[in-house]
Amino acid sequence: MHGTVMDPPSAAPPLVVAGDSTVPAWSLKDETGRTVVLFFGYTHCPDVCPTVLADWARAKRALGADTAAVRFVFVAMDPGRDTPARTQQHARQFDPAILGVATTDAEVARITRDWGFAVYAEGDPRTPNYTVAHPAQSFVVDRKGRLRLMLPPGVRGEDIAKDLRRIR
Amino acid sequence: MRISRKICVASVSALVLTVAACGGETTDGAARATNDGVRQTALLTVHDAWSRTADSGATAAVYFSLHNSAAEADTLVGVASDIADETMMHVSMEHGGTMRMAHVTSLPVPARDSVAFQPLGAHVMLSGLRRPLVAGDTIALTLRFSSGRTVGVRSGVRQP
Repeated sequence: MHGTVMDPPSAAPPLVVAGDSTVPAWSLKDETGRTVVLFFGYTHCPDVCPTVLADWARAKRALGADTAAVRFVFVAMDPGRDTPARTQQHARQFDPAILGVATTDAEVARITRDWGFAVYAEGDPRTPNYTVAHPAQSFVVDRKGRLRLMLPPGVRGEDIAKDLRRIR
Repeated sequence: MRISRKICVASVSALVLTVAACGGETTDGAARATNDGVRQTALLTVHDAWSRTADSGATAAVYFSLHNSAAEADTLVGVASDIADETMMHVSMEHGGTMRMAHVTSLPVPARDSVAFQPLGAHVMLSGLRRPLVAGDTIALTLRFSSGRTVGVRSGVRQP
């Protein structure tokens, strides 16, 4: 494995976003039966988030037919700028099957509390070009909804695919 | 913040050394006279510059390898482009599981050495793109150094 293995694995915290009239609601629970790879970022992220998304796209290609058993979900944690439609469109630039979901302020508060990580704006959030601090790792949840692995950014797509094949 | 502080401290000392060594001479990016009078060209060169496709209004990074073949260190003190509202040097860094970016105002380039601008590290951040970056496009940047030299960069746009 190319990241931190959770041993023993425990149930992943809940993750629910309401969506809006353009993009439906989404819940981690809906994906039971599939492996889910999650990254919490923002669409104005110039470096880390697009690097992770590009590695996911490579991982999907490396998985071939097995990709149907995996759902990649980019969770935007920047309610001030990231609408559900914008986030969905951003994720699809990397691979049409990568899901992009946006959050509200209340959802950001709930998710950071439940998952135990920090997300905060740096710079002046009233200006258009602030940045957002967010978790470095991707979280891998298995088909039974258990948190199994945390992958640091920079793991190559082929290696992500190898790890995902081992998580059943 | 430990990483960014280290960079700033290093940059300040490199900046002082560079200014002292160059004595305020102004040169352009193509050629400058060295101490022994030998004319050299392309002392600072940029290789493999690239960016990802991005929408208008979005944010993008530019990556490249910067090589200083001169006998003296130099310091990158500014980046500019017409393609975005803001063009800045940033360094991505992880601290305690959180990913952040530090705005860097100067970056030392040691003598006869290279500095890599690469994913998850140093990059030029373009905020508020004035037009979309489309695969196959080329975008222009200018790098400005404490020695007074400037280097033009042409960065190719690739599919993400």
